[in-house]
Amino acid sequence: MSNHSMNCGQVKRLLPPFLDEELSGRVREQTASHLASCPACRAELEALKADMGLLEQVGTPEVSPFLVTRVMAEVRERRRAAPHGFARLAGSLAAALVVAVSIGAGVLFGSGLAQTATPVAENSTEEAVSYVESSAADMYAMMAGGD
Amino acid sequence: MSHCPHSRGRTILSHPEVPVTNDADLVRKAQTGDLAAFEELVRRHQHGLFSYLYRMCRNASDAEEMAQVAMVKAWEKLGGFRGASSFKTWLYRIGTNLCFNLRTRRKPTEELYETMAAPDNERPEAAFQQKLREEAVRKALDCLPEDQRAALVLSVYQDMSYKEIAETLGKTVRAVDSLLFRAKSNVRKVLAEDRAKGII
Ligand SMILES: [Zn+2]
Repeated sequence: MSNHSMNCGQVKRLLPPFLDEELSGRVREQTASHLASCPACRAELEALKADMGLLEQVGTPEVSPFLVTRVMAEVRERRRAAPHGFARLAGSLAAALVVAVSIGAGVLFGSGLAQTATPVAENSTEEAVSYVESSAADMYAMMAGGD
Repeated sequence: MSHCPHSRGRTILSHPEVPVTNDADLVRKAQTGDLAAFEELVRRHQHGLFSYLYRMCRNASDAEEMAQVAMVKAWEKLGGFRGASSFKTWLYRIGTNLCFNLRTRRKPTEELYETMAAPDNERPEAAFQQKLREEAVRKALDCLPEDQRAALVLSVYQDMSYKEIAETLGKTVRAVDSLLFRAKSNVRKVLAEDRAKGII
């Protein structure tokens, strides 16, 4: 009972993240071991690879050689309109102060406040790790539930 | 194919004695008002950002305009950028928001055809097949809802990890996994139909 293996449906759901090297731990191992023994899922993986390869062949036009010039001209123009050297520095300091205060508050009041000041992106590393864990948990829940 | 947008390890700033190799260093310099540092960031990311936006809207003028607006916005917001994500995903997020909010889209431009693999004059049949395949892919991508297309384009063409795509689209990694699963299934369905019809 302790040595659950995945069925084809479960493996097929995991093929894209498997191919993208986004799986790790037991989920990755079990997917790989299923693939090693299942020609049907291996064929499915190859077909997915081939289709993704087809996508990769399609190019785009070259970007205009003047884009950088245009961006920088507009940036200089805006800088002239609102000299921001000091203003930007002041803005950064204000942002830093907000973070410092929030972290301080978070430390003082236990938790929660510092988290509030944290944008979505900052949580991503933890999330990426827990994703693997939770996808594993899902798999086990699926397996426990039977088909 | 467009050229690789990355120019890692190069020192292009006007101070060659100070090697600046990563975006984070350039961002820090730009935040102090160093325009040369910001220009280098623009130079580094222009190709990638433009081709991402082009694949999203398929109109070169729209894509270029959005890339320009995104970069100018990035300059204006740079003071508030704290490096929680990479500069690249932060910039692409600005571009994504512009793209999703673009209400009136112009008609797709035809540049895609001109930039396909160089026509093989010795084997016109092969060139024709290649053209059909590219057209099929373009149509398959067009069928996708915006968020699925964005996730797929970032994954396949920008080589972003799920975490980077999540940062760019403001979603969780699990949501990205789900978006990509649906996007790939949908694209493959369309390609399978084309295959069955003998188009590709
Ligand atoms: Zn199987």
